Amino acid sequence: MTRRKFIKYTVETAVAIVAGAWMLLEKTAARVFVRAERIGKYPGKVRRLSDINNQGRWSG
Amino acid sequence: MKSGQSGDCRVRINVDGVLRTVVYGYPCSIHIDPIEKKPFFHFLPGTTALSLATVGCNLHCLNCQNWEISQTNPEQSEVVFCPPEKLVSLAKENNCDSIAYTYTDPIVYYEYTYDTSKLARKAGLRNVLVTAGYANPQPWKDLLKVVDAATIDLKGITEEFYRNICSATLKPIQDNLVATKASGVELEVSNLIISTLNDKPEEIRELVRWIKANLGGDTPLHFLGFFPRYKMRHLPPTSAETLETAHEIAVAEGMQCVYIGNIMSRQGQNTYCPGCKNLLIERSGYIVLQCRVKNGCCPDCGKAIYGVWK
Repeated sequence: MTRRKFIKYTVETAVAIVAGAWMLLEKTAARVFVRAERIGKYPGKVRRLSDINNQGRWSG
Repeated sequence: MKSGQSGDCRVRINVDGVLRTVVYGYPCSIHIDPIEKKPFFHFLPGTTALSLATVGCNLHCLNCQNWEISQTNPEQSEVVFCPPEKLVSLAKENNCDSIAYTYTDPIVYYEYTYDTSKLARKAGLRNVLVTAGYANPQPWKDLLKVVDAATIDLKGITEEFYRNICSATLKPIQDNLVATKASGVELEVSNLIISTLNDKPEEIRELVRWIKANLGGDTPLHFLGFFPRYKMRHLPPTSAETLETAHEIAVAEGMQCVYIGNIMSRQGQNTYCPGCKNLLIERSGYIVLQCRVKNGCCPDCGKAIYGVWK
């Protein structure tokens, strides 16, 4: 193995290890339970509450 | 989620690095339903539940029966403003015994569910979840501390079914089912039987065996009929025979309380004592005609019946 090949191999391995560790860290960090904050304004249409005594048409 | 992006559920957004929920306090549907409609057959029978949902869902079932609200964007929806305090007062004013977080999936409006449940408890109300149970373990365990009952839809028993039909995975749901039963929260399991997809007797038997081994034979089990909806309009509705076969399989495997829903059937409507086999609760649709359970026990043989009765 030439010195140039050795350096290339070492750099490639180091990059692969760092990238793998970074991806693993990102995945682990994403699993942390974060409570979402409320948003100020609803993006859809807000109407007045109407009759709630009828059974829901939805399943469940 | 990158900044400005919403999650798969459509209702949680990364706003400049802060996770925001757009549906907190904005239900798209509020109704007073019989508790039997959820379905809950072993939880305060004959009572009503203030039932609500926001838009959005963390699953994308191709057969979704409520897809008009579960698979829509908040921008295209019509909602009412109803903060937790208002929900609790609505439930009290209308003599509801419980608040049901239902129709879509309470996991997508988790914070709203959690805060309302805490307030409702203080006001002497019960809280019930109607859910697919697809949540991470820690938030699920936290939610169980403030709810009284859960009906969890175990949609199938194979990873393939969950991946291909629901865009979800099976294992977290199985883990949450076990955690729910272990927590003491009253648990009922439902299974929507879809023609040609999960209606094979051997698949139903496998599902029932898993429930019996991991949740116990006393767990109420509801087999529900499917109607052609959303992206599965080409499939026929579930036949009464298929549901009755599922019922027979579950009973043969040792499940004590098995029910049939979404279809008129003589089988699977009433509750019978697992001990002496006498009739305990007689129902017609969502109406309770008589309930003979006394202090949580069969009045004839004294056997304790799983559930919440007062």
